[in-house]
Amino acid sequence: MPVYTVSHVSNIRICVVMVGLPARGKSFISQRIVRYLSWLSIKAKSFNVGNYRREKKSHPNAEFFDSHNEDGLKIRKEAAVEAVKDMMKFFQDELGVVAILDATNSTKERRDWILKLCRENSIEPMFLESWCDDDSIITKNIMDVKTSSPDYLGQDPELAAKDFIKRISKYKETYEPLEVETNKDLTFIKLINVSEQVIINKIETYLESRIVYYVMNLHIKPRSIYLSRHGESMYNLEGKIGGDADLSERGWKYAQKLPELVKKVLKSEEHDDYDDDDDTDIKLTVWTSTLKRTQQTASYLPYDKLQWKALDELDAGACDGLTYEEIELQFPQDFKERDENKYEYRYRGGESYRDVVIRLEPIIMELELQENILIITHQAILRCIYAYFMNIPQEESPWMSIPLHTLIKLEPRAFKTIVERIKADIPAVSTYKEKGTSQLGEIEDINNKSKNLITGAPLR
Amino acid sequence: MSGNNSYTKLQPQGAEDVQSPSYPGNYSARTKKRWGSTPNSYIGTLNSTTTDGIHTQLSPDHIFPAQLYSTESGRLFHAGKILIALVGLPARGKTHLSVSLTRYLRWLGVKTQSFHVSDYRRKAYSNFEDDIPQDYFSASPKTEEGIKIREQIINGCLSDIMSFFERERGQVAIYDALNALKIHRLEVEELFSKMNIKVLFIESIVDDAKLLKRNVNNAAASPDYEGWDPKLAKSDYLKRIQANAPIYEQIDFDKTETHLNYIKFINFGERLVTHNSQHGYLINRIVFFLMNSRIKAGRVYFARCGKSNLDKYIDDELLNSEGLEYSEILCKTLLARLKEKRKQELREMINESPIYSTPISSVNSQSSSSNVSTENIPSLTRKHLSRQPSTADGSSVNSFVVWTATRKRTSETANPFRRKGITVRERYQLNQLNTGAVADMPEEEIIKIFENEYLQDLKDPYHHRYPRAESYHDLAVRMEPLLLEMERMDGDILIIAHESVLRVLYGYLMACSCYSIPALEFPRDELIEISYTPYENLTKRIKLEGVEP
Repeated sequence: MPVYTVSHVSNIRICVVMVGLPARGKSFISQRIVRYLSWLSIKAKSFNVGNYRREKKSHPNAEFFDSHNEDGLKIRKEAAVEAVKDMMKFFQDELGVVAILDATNSTKERRDWILKLCRENSIEPMFLESWCDDDSIITKNIMDVKTSSPDYLGQDPELAAKDFIKRISKYKETYEPLEVETNKDLTFIKLINVSEQVIINKIETYLESRIVYYVMNLHIKPRSIYLSRHGESMYNLEGKIGGDADLSERGWKYAQKLPELVKKVLKSEEHDDYDDDDDTDIKLTVWTSTLKRTQQTASYLPYDKLQWKALDELDAGACDGLTYEEIELQFPQDFKERDENKYEYRYRGGESYRDVVIRLEPIIMELELQENILIITHQAILRCIYAYFMNIPQEESPWMSIPLHTLIKLEPRAFKTIVERIKADIPAVSTYKEKGTSQLGEIEDINNKSKNLITGAPLR
Repeated sequence: MSGNNSYTKLQPQGAEDVQSPSYPGNYSARTKKRWGSTPNSYIGTLNSTTTDGIHTQLSPDHIFPAQLYSTESGRLFHAGKILIALVGLPARGKTHLSVSLTRYLRWLGVKTQSFHVSDYRRKAYSNFEDDIPQDYFSASPKTEEGIKIREQIINGCLSDIMSFFERERGQVAIYDALNALKIHRLEVEELFSKMNIKVLFIESIVDDAKLLKRNVNNAAASPDYEGWDPKLAKSDYLKRIQANAPIYEQIDFDKTETHLNYIKFINFGERLVTHNSQHGYLINRIVFFLMNSRIKAGRVYFARCGKSNLDKYIDDELLNSEGLEYSEILCKTLLARLKEKRKQELREMINESPIYSTPISSVNSQSSSSNVSTENIPSLTRKHLSRQPSTADGSSVNSFVVWTATRKRTSETANPFRRKGITVRERYQLNQLNTGAVADMPEEEIIKIFENEYLQDLKDPYHHRYPRAESYHDLAVRMEPLLLEMERMDGDILIIAHESVLRVLYGYLMACSCYSIPALEFPRDELIEISYTPYENLTKRIKLEGVEP
């Protein structure tokens, strides 16, 4: 029996059809929606028509996109057809729930074609247009594209930018934006200059409203999210899981050192309004769980603090307070089952990783909206939050290694999240348990690509 | 986001202080630093739990069910003060909107109060048939007396709003008036901007004749027309609309109000247009609420889960024979009630077959219409233009859905519904309050082992959390993502859950104070029915015959 996350989805198929000129942040929005939904176990995938086109034509110049260029038109159409074919396969074979058609879809003709296909296949089309005439936003997007787009790989950035601007003007010639008058029967969202004006038309399902709410919470202001486990606890020393133990002596040392570590990373941020004499000028809010060990870890930090029950450690139910060896002895079947499917396994009277993700959803929503946040929480919770920002698949996220006494900095950028780790240089026990053993400690694991993402240990 | 409010900073605690807490478990969450006031002072102000508390005045120190923290200013520190001024002709659902928005924002811990100009007028003229000059109901009265009275009543309302912000630590005030003229809106904007309060206009526009008719009928049943002949009431109300329709000015019709922050709310959620409204948490929440807002026809039913042998938290048992019998009675009683309410057969309630019975027509098939090709697109037929019936749960007024927790006996209580083909959904968020260290412990034992905790719990049963347990407050925060999903359903919904969960949900729908929520009782032999009206929610308890309480 599946558990539903934000909404019941087994009888819904949605196709989010992106609309807009190049450099309007369509791919950014597409990828974020996919990340959010996938993290909630809602099957979502983005189909970028540009990627299909690149297989046929890898470095086109602006002329290729001219509406009179027969060759160009043919290749672009073929690419769209292939993307849509794959999208249909995704709905049919993979039981997809939300597909995102990431392309300009800038003409009415193209949109009618997609609309028709959707309607004939019981897919709800939801159009999402990003419309923009604010030059500062467009310029920023062009800067991103000229350095990151595979279309301009290896080319001079200045020439790339020039060509790209020309490409945009080619699209402009035939662009027909969504209009309330003519499209009033469609489900569509129109974002004008990011969020200066937003038009939301005919939202029919809760899931759609949740997607729109999520998109509205996205912002492009630079910020960082800092993550830390609590300092080493007395239970960590004894190898016990769960509980509400105090920090160990070394744990307290970490708590005392944390303000200095935080100050250092904050200082390295280049804020215009930053005043060297007063560190509290940079706005940072600290989120902790309700358990003692996270609050003790935060106790020396001079920032606003907020406790969330949702940040409490995964509830181990009947196994709470035991060591892994004791669990293996007392609940051998459970011990085995958990190793086999750690994401779904729910402790007797406790929680699974999936349950934790559901309770973290409001936290993620809030995190997208906020600016600088430091989260001090627990191993399983950090794995889930980290998995969201780094797109880690469910099979791997519960097995990631997150060491104690390390501050992690996440800097969400348009296409990826940048990670930095700051070690406190205070020794602590390892609380990492490999699959198939009850012993703690790290062993090399070449099959798990994500395991050491956080520790930064080299991959083989 | 403005951080301009002065609020109590949670002081960094010294290590010694934290290392030896006076109580085990979550120590600082219960200290005065988090909840700035002692609940004892409220005992006298509890609202009744059987009527909707949404119109109750709040005390300045009021704490809301899902409020995350309390501050000295009484306001959340990650949002500023907002005046929401509603705009729209009569019968545009403004009162409904202000009431339901107040309910949602209060639940989230935002100190919100609706100010209905109509309430002020009723207070001044209880006998409104005779005394009020008829042109009072126009946004621009013609007679001297009409002008004077209108000014008086509106000024009374506005000055109460100001004192709500200044003296009662209010965060959001909803000003429920016509605000039909541009000049009035600009005045409101100027008045409150000066006080450093953001003004957000929400204009409700209805051009759907069916919706309008329903609203007019609803209004004819409002307090104004108590004791009237329904026909006369309706025609009188229509007169009020007619008085304003010709002079009404939509926001920014002539592009002179572009500097205002506004949301156009069209046909109750069909379309939303936000303008200049990128202000973070609260406004996004409001837009999310508006997307899911409905003038609700369906009802919400609450029932307990059946009994199991040991009735223990940790074991997660199946139902015993008594519990199974209960589940049958529940199903029978509820379906009979629905039938009576809807006057329709059960088979029509069974939801449409899931969409996956419709296969994707092969993209390579020969059939011309499903061939994925951009060549020669045939023009769209009516079939393509019309929207397919939405397939989500609760999308039609005839739908009926059952939600349960994921725990075994709760889910099993829904089996009789499953057997009849009714949709049953298990929701993790509906799992019962986790009682942590005191799970399945008899009271005497709790007193013995956790004496201090027990005393704390007596003092503030809503926020108190036994070691490792959830408080009611935690439960309320956990259930937040479900609320609007429940609210947007057009049909009926039954929620089968543990008493602790029902208390919190009931608390939301009936706007109970968090001091009364832990004491709410839902005996097993009663089915709760909650129905919606524009001004308040109504509740009814239906006896389950043959069930032990």
